[in-house]
Amino acid sequence: MKEIDARGLACPAPVLQTKAALQEDSPNSVRVVVDNAASQQNVQRFLESKGFQTVLDQDGADYVVSGSCDSVPSAQPQPTLKPSSDAKKIMVMCATDRMGFGDDTLGLKLMVNFLRTLKEMGEELWQLVFVNNGVKLTIEGSEVLDDLKGYEKEGLKILVCGTCLNHFNLLDRKQVGETTNMLDIVTAMQLADKVINI
Amino acid sequence: MTFPSDENVIIGLDRADDAGVYRISNDLALIQTVDFFTPIVDDPYWFGQIAAANALSDVYAMGGTPKTAMNLVAFPAKTMDLSILRQIIQGGVDKLKEAGVVLIGGHSIEDKEIKYGLSVTGLVHPERVLAKKNLRRGDCLVLTKPLGTGIVNTAIKADMVSEHLLEKVTSLMAELNRDAARIMADFDISACTDVTGFGLLGHLAEMVNGSGCSARIDSGKMPVISEALEFAAMGLIPAGAYKNREFREQMIIFAELVPRTLQDLLYDPQTSGGLLISVSEVHSAALVSALKDGGIDDAAQIGDIFSGPEEKIWVA
Repeated sequence: MKEIDARGLACPAPVLQTKAALQEDSPNSVRVVVDNAASQQNVQRFLESKGFQTVLDQDGADYVVSGSCDSVPSAQPQPTLKPSSDAKKIMVMCATDRMGFGDDTLGLKLMVNFLRTLKEMGEELWQLVFVNNGVKLTIEGSEVLDDLKGYEKEGLKILVCGTCLNHFNLLDRKQVGETTNMLDIVTAMQLADKVINI
Repeated sequence: MTFPSDENVIIGLDRADDAGVYRISNDLALIQTVDFFTPIVDDPYWFGQIAAANALSDVYAMGGTPKTAMNLVAFPAKTMDLSILRQIIQGGVDKLKEAGVVLIGGHSIEDKEIKYGLSVTGLVHPERVLAKKNLRRGDCLVLTKPLGTGIVNTAIKADMVSEHLLEKVTSLMAELNRDAARIMADFDISACTDVTGFGLLGHLAEMVNGSGCSARIDSGKMPVISEALEFAAMGLIPAGAYKNREFREQMIIFAELVPRTLQDLLYDPQTSGGLLISVSEVHSAALVSALKDGGIDDAAQIGDIFSGPEEKIWVA
C-alpha cells in the first residue's frame, strides 16, 4: 500500500503526485488523501484511467481515495478497437418509421415486418439505432415496442437518438433502448463490420 | 445591494452580461468592460496577447466595436526583470493594433504576483446591442471556438502537453473574436455572449435564466480540442470546472450516454473562448458557412432554443 498525502495542494498537483508514486513503485494499491472535492474527483479519475478500482471515504474534512488493481498498472492490456468475438457486427440504423417511399400505410407495415424479421440475422445483429423519425418506433404505443423489448432482453443493444427525442418532445415517452448522442453513433459505426441504413 | 442607475443605462448590473452599455444619444451607446488575470501561459508576450483578446471579446459579444483601451498592471518590480513586463505589454499592444484599438492610458501597482488586463471602451448603436437576455424561441445556437482550453491549461501545468498542442491552444486563446462578430452582424441574431470562466453551460445558463426558453445541446456537434478529452479522462480538470458543474447542475439534464469527459468540457472554464450566438433558424446554416469562409474553421451549430418555461438545458 502506497500512501500519498496531497492535502493543501490544488489541481493538478494531487494527480501529479499520484502519477509520480505509480511510476516510482508500481504499487497494487494506493491511498491518496486530499482536502478538496475537485482533487478527489481528479485523483479518482486518474487512478481509474490507470486500471485501478477506487473507493472513496471521508475522514473529517479530508477525502481518502483508495485504489487497488490486480496487476501492475503498466501491464494493463490496451483496449482493442474491434470487439474480440468472431461474429460479424451488423449495425442497423433506422432513420425513419416507414420503409421506403410511396404509400405511408404500406411503409409502416413494411417497417414493422422488417423489425420483426430482423432476428433472422442471428448473433450478427449487433446494434439497432433509431434516429430522426425512427425514434417514434421506441415510444409508447409503437407497434413494435414488444418486439424491441424482446430484442433488448436477449442482449441486443438499442440506441435512440436523444436530440431526435428532444426535437419531437418525446424524451419522457421512450420505452426501450438507451438514449444516445451522435458521438456514440459514429463510434458504433466505426466499430461495426457492416452498417445497414433504412 | 442596489446600485446607482439612470434611464440611459441599457445594460447594467441588474442582470449578468458581458459588459455595461450606456446610451449617449439616440444613435450612440458606450460599451465598457474590464478584465484582468494572472498568467495562464509561461510566455509573457503571448500572455499579453491573450489578456487583450480576452478583454476585447466582451465588446464584440455585445455587438459593438472596441475603440480605446487602458492597461491594468500588477507586477513584482522588485524581484522580477522589467523586460518581462515590457513583453507582456507589447503583446497587449500588438493585439490592440490588430483590433484597431488605441491604448490611451493605464495604471500599475507593485504586487507579489503578475496580473495583467485591460479596460476597454467601445461603441454600438443602442438598438443593436446584443444582450444575453433576449434569447428567442426557435433560434439555433452557434459556437465559434472549440472547448477545452481550461483542461489543456491544467495539463500544461502538469507538463503533459506537446509543443504542438501548446502552440495551437495559445494561438486559439489569442485569437480575436472580431471577425466572428463582424460576420454575425449580417445575420438575424437575438442574443450573444462569449464563453469564458463559467464554461459553455454556465454562460448558456445565464442566457436561459429568465428567458422563458430552454436550450438543447447536441454534444456530438460540439467543437472540442480532442486532446482535452484525453486529459479529462486522466483527471487533469481545473477545480473551476467542478465549481461550474456544482453551481448549474439543477438546470442541466444530460442524456445517459453523453460521456463524462465531454460533460467536463462543457463545464470547462475557458480563457478567451468563442462567441455563443443565438441566431434565427433560417439563418443558422448560412451563418456557420460564412464563419467558416471567414477562416473560423471550428464554427458549428451546437443546439437550439425551444419554448420551455422551466428554463432547463438538455444535453444529448
